[in-house]
Amino acid sequence: MQHEDEIEALLARLADGDRSVFSAVFKRLWVPMNRFCMSMLKHEADAADAAQQAMTKIFERASDYDPKRPAMPWALAIAAWECRTLQRKRFRRRESPEDSAAEPADERAESDLIRRDLTQAALAAMSELPEIDRETLLATFLDEATSVDGATLRKRRERAIDRLRTSFRRLYGLD
Amino acid sequence: MDSTELDKVTRRVRLHYEWARVKRALLGILPLVVVVCAASVLGRHHSATEAFGALAVVVGAAMFWYGRDPQRAVLPGVLAGFVPLVLALCTSHMAGCSGDGCMTMCVPACSAGGVIAGLAVASVGNRRRAGAVFWLSASSLALLTGAMGCACVGYAGVVGLGVGFAAGVVPGLLRRAFA
Repeated sequence: MQHEDEIEALLARLADGDRSVFSAVFKRLWVPMNRFCMSMLKHEADAADAAQQAMTKIFERASDYDPKRPAMPWALAIAAWECRTLQRKRFRRRESPEDSAAEPADERAESDLIRRDLTQAALAAMSELPEIDRETLLATFLDEATSVDGATLRKRRERAIDRLRTSFRRLYGLD
Repeated sequence: MDSTELDKVTRRVRLHYEWARVKRALLGILPLVVVVCAASVLGRHHSATEAFGALAVVVGAAMFWYGRDPQRAVLPGVLAGFVPLVLALCTSHMAGCSGDGCMTMCVPACSAGGVIAGLAVASVGNRRRAGAVFWLSASSLALLTGAMGCACVGYAGVVGLGVGFAAGVVPGLLRRAFA
């Protein structure tokens, strides 16, 4: 928690133009971004590429960082987006990872923390949605029956996902 | 990843950070570019207006890019400088005539505008308890913005603006220094 507060304070200073904290922010984000990309892509070279790309995007957007928002979910959302972009590229080229590395036990704990941050980010975005959208999304996610079905459910789900995307974009700058 | 590779990544990321700030600064200074264009069209001494305007845009963009106090000084500086600019543009075509002859109203308007601009900068600076960098940045941008209009009667208008600005800002600056 203290680590996250520290990153938030450092990112706020970087957003204000204080270059003296650049290295400190880089050092604090580099390892978590690498581990997160590794846990998502399960491929060392791709993870390194995605992490570098994510770091570039994070620092490009650092000046727009809103200190009222939590820093780690914001950074991880950018990394997740980069990983997804890379996955899509790989899928289009029909490539598959050759040297998937097994996740060591000590890294698993960090991955869990990262996943928890991302889940918090998604929940924060969801909390801004109307009740009916939240219900629809939860029912979809948990595969539960809802009061409506067929075309109505499909429309409701589309609307809810659109609103979730807008909310996420507003909170973290991307979807 | 070895340290050389990591240094390369750090440098690349830093370059992207700076480039993003440059783009942001250029976007942020666009309203001032519009003001410079309008002043150039409405003013009488186009070359002087454009020279001061170009300088104001460059200085403003640099302050935006740098961040911290200079960035925070851009808006108060431009808004303060807007007062003498508008007054000078409005009065540049007016002349006050008495028995001895006629004189343009530009210089008095610039001096009065300068006083108001100085008071405005001092008020913001004192309210924010800002440091010297803020005062210097806001003052320079206010003077450059005002000078676009005050070049209406040559450099006498700019001097009038400077004297007026000093008269407005110095009391506030002294209050800040001895507070």
